[in-house]
Amino acid sequence: MLMIEHEINPQPARVGPVTVTLTMTGPAARRVAGAHVTVEADMSHAGMSPVFGEAKEIEPGRYQSQLSLGMAGDWVILVHGTLTDGEKVEEQFDVKGVRPN
Amino acid sequence: MRVPGLGRLFRWRYARPVLQVPLLAVSVVMIVHGLLGPSLAPKNLATTLTWLHFRGALVLVLLCAGNFFCLACPFMLVRQTARRIFKPRFNWPRALRNKWISVALFVLILFTYELFDLWSSPWWTAWLIVAYFVSVLVVDGFFKHASFCKFICPIGQFNFVASTLSPFEVKVREQDVCTTCLTKDCIRGRREPVSDLVVIRGCELALFQPRKVGNMDCTFCLDCVHACPHDNIGILSRVPGTELLGDSLRSGIGYFSNRKDLSALAVVFTFGALLNAFGMVSPVYALENWLGEALHVNHEAPVLSIIFVFFLVLEPVLLLGLAAWLSRAWGGIRRAIVPLVVRYTYGLVPLGFGMWLAHYGFHFLTGLYTIIPVTQSAVASLGRAFLGEPHWTLTGLPANAVQVVEIGFLVLGLAGSLAVTHGLAEEDSPEKPLRAFLPWAGVCAVLWVASMWLIFQPMEMRATLMSG
Repeated sequence: MLMIEHEINPQPARVGPVTVTLTMTGPAARRVAGAHVTVEADMSHAGMSPVFGEAKEIEPGRYQSQLSLGMAGDWVILVHGTLTDGEKVEEQFDVKGVRPN
Repeated sequence: MRVPGLGRLFRWRYARPVLQVPLLAVSVVMIVHGLLGPSLAPKNLATTLTWLHFRGALVLVLLCAGNFFCLACPFMLVRQTARRIFKPRFNWPRALRNKWISVALFVLILFTYELFDLWSSPWWTAWLIVAYFVSVLVVDGFFKHASFCKFICPIGQFNFVASTLSPFEVKVREQDVCTTCLTKDCIRGRREPVSDLVVIRGCELALFQPRKVGNMDCTFCLDCVHACPHDNIGILSRVPGTELLGDSLRSGIGYFSNRKDLSALAVVFTFGALLNAFGMVSPVYALENWLGEALHVNHEAPVLSIIFVFFLVLEPVLLLGLAAWLSRAWGGIRRAIVPLVVRYTYGLVPLGFGMWLAHYGFHFLTGLYTIIPVTQSAVASLGRAFLGEPHWTLTGLPANAVQVVEIGFLVLGLAGSLAVTHGLAEEDSPEKPLRAFLPWAGVCAVLWVASMWLIFQPMEMRATLMSG
């Protein structure tokens, strides 16, 4: 089963640029390399601009994307991935309480 | 009613259902998508349409035209259909023929909106719409006339208060025609000559057209327009806000100055506008955390309750009480404090409406196009992407441009409130109108500065509070 772990920097996240690092692991905790990963950040309120970013593979199975969060509050990060065999993966996680600058 | 096309539509007896059917269809789609669609608010039709487009369009239509959303209310279409089967038997209890229940519900909706972050939950939003339909059916299933609209509906009360500032009103064209009218069909309904059965309903909200003043309690249902045998009632233009001046006897309402419940509604409308906007900016979280720490409370409900009591009770009592006292002392007004406060709260409605316009207008305009990708996504989820792939980058107008519009709404609101309170002061204190007016101008200035401060605060949209 595929697992995606995430890290956000800086902590706590603030309005402005943040780095999203994702680690994809498969069965037996083996890193999943070579995937195409995009990241989308949405606010919890309708009507706000979503932010999109492409994640680069910085080492096998670790993907990193820069996003610029435009507003303080709660954000939801959506991860869209396509594995080397064409399988699609989706993951969603919350980034709560992004602080104003 | 004389506008080509529109006039003909509104004169048509089935104009209302024709306008209601599309909104009912949209409501059903919102419920289904809210319950079964994506859980993320920006991707769901229930949250996007309810908290962006409906609210924004509502206040803009109220500002530019009138209470046309009550005219097209989908809840009333369902009620009307249900009443073909279940005939209500009871009259609304006399003791409850006021706005107190609806004022309480208005506050409750504002409170639950913050407590449960309704704006971030498609599921709760869908259930809110369902609850509305059920409430309408229950209340109007038991009670005759438009009991739900007049005494319960919080959205309706919002529309009634805001529509006092609308440029159009349903009213009589020629009073002389009404003077000679013997049948009074506008209130009694048009009846079959022999059987005396009502074939076209009269006003369900007890507004007798010849003595009706303004838009308060008028749902624009057009029943009176269709029932009048003399074609003497229309949707006519007027100067917005004039009905807030003067204190004549109003059909179905009485005197504004005697209606503490209506005054409370005006207070909640005005101060609630600022409170609702305050819930979306950064300082509210600092305040909640500070209160939570000071009271050693981890739950949001008690902290939010304190904020609501302060902004909807203590602040109005202090501000309005002080203004009334000063107005009496300086202007020599002979009214007692409470009647004076009741009278002048209506003068603050333009400021409140300005804040609602600024707040809802901001979300509406900055998120105007988001309905396109959300609809594309909803259609695509059915397996037929004939509207194309969702363009999630479509949002709306730039926030800095919309902020100029917001300032315009607030300036308009301030001008309206100053004009109304000055008009009231001139009536109350013909010899010293300026001195009677100054305290109320001070209240207007305080609320306006607070509103301006709010729109310049950084927005912060959290679905969780008190998290530090």
